[in-house]
Amino acid sequence: MATQTKPQSATDRSTAFKWSMVIDLDRCTGCEACVVACQSENNVPINEESAFIEGRAFEWIRLERYWEGEWPDIKARFIPVLCQHCENAPCEPVCPVYATYHNNEGLNVQVYNRCVGTRYCGANCPYHARQFNFWEPVWPEDLRHQLNPDVTVRTRGVMEKCSMCIQRIRRATRSKTPSDIPDGAFNPACVQACPTSAMTFGNLNNPESKVSKLQNDERRYHMFEHLGTAPTTLYLKQVDTHGA
Amino acid sequence: MGLTRRQFLKWAGVTGVGAVVFNGCRVPDHEIQVQSPVELPEDLVTGRDNYYATVAQVGSGSEGLLVRVMEGRAKKVEGNPDYPLNTGKHHIRSEAMLQATYHPDRIKSPMVRIAKGGPFRAIGWPDALERLTKILGDADPANVLLATGPVRGKLADVTKLFAKDYGAQALGFDPIDQHVLRTAIKNIYDQDVLPDFDIAHADFIMSFGADFLGTWIDPTHYMRGYGEFRQGEDRAERGHLVHVDSRFSVTAAAADEWKYVNPGTEGLLALSMAHTIVTEKLGDAGAARALTGGADNHLSSFSADKVASQIGMSADAITNLAHKFAGTRGRALAIGGGSAGAHTNGVFNLTAIYALNYLVGSVNVPGGVIFNPAGDQSQITGAPIRDWKAALDAMRSGDIKVLLVRDANVVHGLSKQLKVTEALDKLDTIVSFSSFLDETTARADLILPGHTPFEEWGTDTPDVGPGYRTVAFQQPVINRFRDTMAFGDVLIRTASELGHAMPWESMRDAVRAAARDLHSTNRGSVTQPTFEEFWKRSLERGGWWDQGDTVSGTPTPPVLPRAAVKAQIAGDAKVFPLHLVPFEGHAIGTGQYAHLPWAQAVPDPITTVVWTTWVELNPKTAESLNVKQDDVVTLESATGDFISVPVYVNPATPPDVASVPIGQGHEQFTTYAAGRGSNVLDILAQAEDSDTGSLAWASTRVRLTKTNVRVGLPKLEGIEEPRQLPGEPVIVVFRPGEEDDSHS
Repeated sequence: MATQTKPQSATDRSTAFKWSMVIDLDRCTGCEACVVACQSENNVPINEESAFIEGRAFEWIRLERYWEGEWPDIKARFIPVLCQHCENAPCEPVCPVYATYHNNEGLNVQVYNRCVGTRYCGANCPYHARQFNFWEPVWPEDLRHQLNPDVTVRTRGVMEKCSMCIQRIRRATRSKTPSDIPDGAFNPACVQACPTSAMTFGNLNNPESKVSKLQNDERRYHMFEHLGTAPTTLYLKQVDTHGA
Repeated sequence: MGLTRRQFLKWAGVTGVGAVVFNGCRVPDHEIQVQSPVELPEDLVTGRDNYYATVAQVGSGSEGLLVRVMEGRAKKVEGNPDYPLNTGKHHIRSEAMLQATYHPDRIKSPMVRIAKGGPFRAIGWPDALERLTKILGDADPANVLLATGPVRGKLADVTKLFAKDYGAQALGFDPIDQHVLRTAIKNIYDQDVLPDFDIAHADFIMSFGADFLGTWIDPTHYMRGYGEFRQGEDRAERGHLVHVDSRFSVTAAAADEWKYVNPGTEGLLALSMAHTIVTEKLGDAGAARALTGGADNHLSSFSADKVASQIGMSADAITNLAHKFAGTRGRALAIGGGSAGAHTNGVFNLTAIYALNYLVGSVNVPGGVIFNPAGDQSQITGAPIRDWKAALDAMRSGDIKVLLVRDANVVHGLSKQLKVTEALDKLDTIVSFSSFLDETTARADLILPGHTPFEEWGTDTPDVGPGYRTVAFQQPVINRFRDTMAFGDVLIRTASELGHAMPWESMRDAVRAAARDLHSTNRGSVTQPTFEEFWKRSLERGGWWDQGDTVSGTPTPPVLPRAAVKAQIAGDAKVFPLHLVPFEGHAIGTGQYAHLPWAQAVPDPITTVVWTTWVELNPKTAESLNVKQDDVVTLESATGDFISVPVYVNPATPPDVASVPIGQGHEQFTTYAAGRGSNVLDILAQAEDSDTGSLAWASTRVRLTKTNVRVGLPKLEGIEEPRQLPGEPVIVVFRPGEEDDSHS
């Protein structure tokens, strides 16, 4: 029978966990299983047609597609984009109410009940990872039965974004030490759903974790490296052997 | 003004003190945390959650799922890590099925139409079942048609047995059926069930028309293999993918090389490659002898120089592909399907494509085609269009008077040219067992709404198994949310009332009977001394599978045809200059998931368009036709039918192609589907594959006319076409062999 360990203090936790995600673009097919899994897990509002026309669709993780070349020598390249959980997050210092801050586990955290809706953070995020609730999100009564009870349904006037499924992190790490949590024991919803295993999540403070080892992969890169945001999310480059 | 030493020291002192003071004033880290709502909702939630294993049919795919249930409500769908096909992963459609259960427009109880054309009235189940029994008791069974969507496992057994004992005709419906593929597999491999493709262990894949990473058969299962094919830890080299198609699909986007060929010539390309491999003795000599009947000149009519112009590729390019395919150091694999089989010569195309696997020794070996045991597989598949045309004729002539229909939305899925509604109007009675008021159910006289997949019992014997015997168990993970009854239970009860009692009392009983058979084998993934223990364990695991129950051996290849079968494309190329390439909606399929908001709102990966229908045109084609993005155009085929759709200018669309997604254009089927887009199936020439009678859905030409209407296409991307910026690409590409200095 497992014994309960004493919950660690915040200081202890800061040395215990540093969460990170690695996305291998060579495995990604653009299927968007991650997108819908995230919406289901995190009570992301349903995007009606008008949300797309107005450019206000809510996707904590979205799939972007870029063209390269011209017909017939053309490529469509996909990249899932989510909050990069930057070490030097441009969104954090501009928040006048500390609604967004960097926690001691490497996550860029959004505190909904502090947010007063200035939207400075959204304007400052170069990854367009943040979405603002201009209106009260509405679900038909019956569909509310599906909502995840672990996740707040945000209200009008509040900024929201990827939390790296913090509710899952809290659930998995509560009263546990890192050694109690095997690498890959739990995952954010997007990582869990990804059919090609393009996404990997884990603890950077564990040198044996897969994410730690991938930090040295020859294909590693950070999105918009030149901005100096120092993202925690790492991408592995797509491989192109065109015509080989 | 100069700065004196005194002034400098004063300012430096003030700045230093200020820095210390302000740093001291910063809110300490622990205070932020203390004030943060560490008591987040998950800390406050009462109640306990449970995870139940079940299975869902996702199109042709089979996905083992774990459903998180809390306080009696299903909250989240996750892949079952144990289930051999999806191993912990899942498709958008599986996730979206949650919304079917809690859909606001779901039929809430049985209903009867008060009078022909009148409104529906809610009734109770005893009344509904009594009415059904009376309808069937009064009818001549020879005049009754039982139409269902594709059904597998125990429900297929119950449905077929009901139809057989009662004497009705049973017919499956799927707008895009797989009979061409099944026939080709039978022709070439002598297999009665579809084989698996060992993508993970292949080294070179050549895919013809099969969008296996997008919508074809079981994308989640294939994507599991694809991830390993690209970057598997145990691989010596990254796999190489060549995709041959007349549309730029998700699989084309993922491919290392995308080859456009003239529609309907995929089989010709395969045989031309075979000719090169055979004449240059690049492949398996025994297979080459068998496929050519020992005649050296058997495939001479397919030499690259003779067929290159028909295919639309250079002879060198064809020869080069043959060299790559046969010269792969590891295992080469050919996969064919989708648009390659959707022509009047579909069986010819797919037979030729799958023959390539013999030449490189990839039949029933790791990294190649893997045969599946037929064992428990029971299913009702979508019937060819030829059978449905006959059924509609029988409705018109009065040979069919009663239609029992379950998830077979023929009004939307069959072309308007077939005058389906007119045929349905001739019927005496329509009884629907569907959960939603789709276009066909809306014409019903009696509705006995069925459960959604998370509320009912069943089994699944996958259409494409993992290469060994697999039976998945479907169990109700929640109690029924509405006043519905499982379709299988309705059939079992009604059969009993009609005096044809089935061997089971309920679907649960039927599933337990299947489990008893598996328990008695005393082998496989679950073995237990008692049946009850076996039942419990196999429900927990989501099914039973036996990795030792495989198909061994390689059949003798048949002799390939000497002459090509040409595709007949409907419409004169001078009048109808664009080749219409319809494709299945990324999430909404052929329309069966169009009622689910998550499926509607997930952007098409290539265009990012949502919630509607569009036509993809090459920029130069659009320019020559004087149309721009968001312009509404009419697409007209030689049948005289047309649809109106907005233009999406797609730089990857071939210049002579117009691609349109299938799935929208519903008149009914809930508020999320009704009144959106157009149904491209309505303008397809109703041509058939000459062998199977399946709809040749890729064999229509169209012409395009600009209207004066413009709309804002709902899509994720912005106004500007997203292009990689030289020097600062969002997606950095690694080209092996090139110097790379972009590491962080």
